[in-house]
Amino acid sequence: MARQRAKASRRQHSPRTKSGSAALPAALTVSDAERFLFAEARLLDERRFDEWESLFSEDGSYWVPIDPAKEPGQGISIISDDRKRLHERVFRLTQTPVLDQNPPSRTMRLVSNVEVEADGAGQARLRCRQLITEVRPGGLGQAGLNVVRVFPASCEYRLRRDGARWKIVRKKVVLLDSDQPHYNLSFIP
Amino acid sequence: MAVTERTQSYADLVADDPREFRVHGSVYTDAEVFGSEMDRIYERTWVYAGHESELPAAGDYKTVLVGTQPVVLSRHEDGKIYALYNRCRHRGAVVCRQERGHSNFFRCRIGMSQSTGYPDDFDRGAYGLVPVSRMANYRGLFFISLSDHGPTFDEHIGPARKYIDAWLGRSPVEQIELLLPPHRYEYPGNWKLQAENGYDGYHGNYVHLSWQRVLQLSKESTVEEVQRYRQEGAARGLLNGHGLLERPGSLNPASSWTARMMDRYPEYAEAMRAKYAETQLIDLSARRNIFIFPNLYLFDTHLRVIVPKAVNRTEVQLYVYALHGVPDAINDGRIRGHERFYGPAGFGAPDDIEVFTEVQTGAQARGNEWNLFSRGQHRERVENGERVGHTTDETPQRSLYRQWRLEMSRP
Repeated sequence: MARQRAKASRRQHSPRTKSGSAALPAALTVSDAERFLFAEARLLDERRFDEWESLFSEDGSYWVPIDPAKEPGQGISIISDDRKRLHERVFRLTQTPVLDQNPPSRTMRLVSNVEVEADGAGQARLRCRQLITEVRPGGLGQAGLNVVRVFPASCEYRLRRDGARWKIVRKKVVLLDSDQPHYNLSFIP
Repeated sequence: MAVTERTQSYADLVADDPREFRVHGSVYTDAEVFGSEMDRIYERTWVYAGHESELPAAGDYKTVLVGTQPVVLSRHEDGKIYALYNRCRHRGAVVCRQERGHSNFFRCRIGMSQSTGYPDDFDRGAYGLVPVSRMANYRGLFFISLSDHGPTFDEHIGPARKYIDAWLGRSPVEQIELLLPPHRYEYPGNWKLQAENGYDGYHGNYVHLSWQRVLQLSKESTVEEVQRYRQEGAARGLLNGHGLLERPGSLNPASSWTARMMDRYPEYAEAMRAKYAETQLIDLSARRNIFIFPNLYLFDTHLRVIVPKAVNRTEVQLYVYALHGVPDAINDGRIRGHERFYGPAGFGAPDDIEVFTEVQTGAQARGNEWNLFSRGQHRERVENGERVGHTTDETPQRSLYRQWRLEMSRP
């Protein structure tokens, strides 16, 4: 069911994605940045994880710290993926019998407060706030399911120009309650 | 019907039948049982509270819950760690609000420091914070008992002592340091589901099939290799509710982590060989998940602390630690390896948590009252007071529930 829905949305959206999400001018405006961020959020919400992965550069990383004052690699993080581990994460979600995403999460991400710093020479830094909402649907009385969870987050992206596109060199997601206990976060926050 | 039966005796909730060891579903769902567990297990026996490396300096403190009671662990200016009830002697407010911090003195925000309004002979000094009944430090691990009665700490920890020693022995200076902050997760299920899971050698090939596929993708090991590995070793049920899952020790780099690290880092091998004889090295290279009843696991990468919050709500804290006296690269590898499997977004732990919620939901079906923990009962043997089962047997879980039954039956 979910797979069919994902397929349908892929057909519906892929032409726009090709011309839209990644091909951006060298000097990024806020509205360029929004176009990029909204498209990225939509790929995750539609569970198009392979396409989302392809937004990252070959040396790209994805970091969800517990303590954002630390450097990546210092102590432990909720997620600290280099490009190889990011691929494993996507592989696990898409190609393996993963229990904690069965039933899969439905997510809806609201992206706002976008700020851009671009050097005009192929590097850019974006900041935004995201309100990530998530629910896993299930039967009556199933512990852990059917509850909409809310994850406010402060996000930072480092982008690098790669030909006609921008690639994510680093995505950092700082959950408002990053140091508090969480239930399943395997849907990709 | 079940309600009247069960309130007569908690002992009846664990059926220690030689052919069919069963646990009643209400141990996961009944709030009254949970309340009694807090009274009789968490607030009477020895509960893990923290590690000395969390409080390196005088004035450092950490707040914890022992059962449902707020307690502060604090390093005093005499260098020792004390455990005090987090409750002002005046009107009962807590004196520490943060999870951890540093302070020169405990301050009640209602205003105990203003002590005017009392007679001249009022002795403020007699109203210090109240210490917990008993505290013990075993090799840097701090345990608390809120009761003056019951077994001593030495009696309690005795059956697990040699395994803790071997676990710590992977550091050639026998010291670890917790890396803060910890991984934390919380699930809508009972605390004993986490206790049952950490040394369970049965579920891995099913619940963690997705993890095995990831290992196969990265060409670290095939699914068949992992499944064969999961057949090796033993599941041990110790006295006093402790237990462990054990993979065999070896000095072959292909089959043990410790041997692999010694092979890769000559300075580590040199330090280990200088300290230990060969038989000791083989023993401490065994990979063990050690459960210390009722709330602590020692894993090869982390200390796992179970924090019961309600009958159907549990927090789990995973404190990754660095081994002292080893090359940094060894610790870096352990930390990155931990992140890959554990925590709320790891490739393994969320699958376990998912299963906890499934058991929690299923336990509501009271027409089918009992969970079965009899796997391997017929083939386990007794050695030196330990029950030893096949790696996939429910031997350690039976040890947990035998102790549970004993503690819950005490008057």
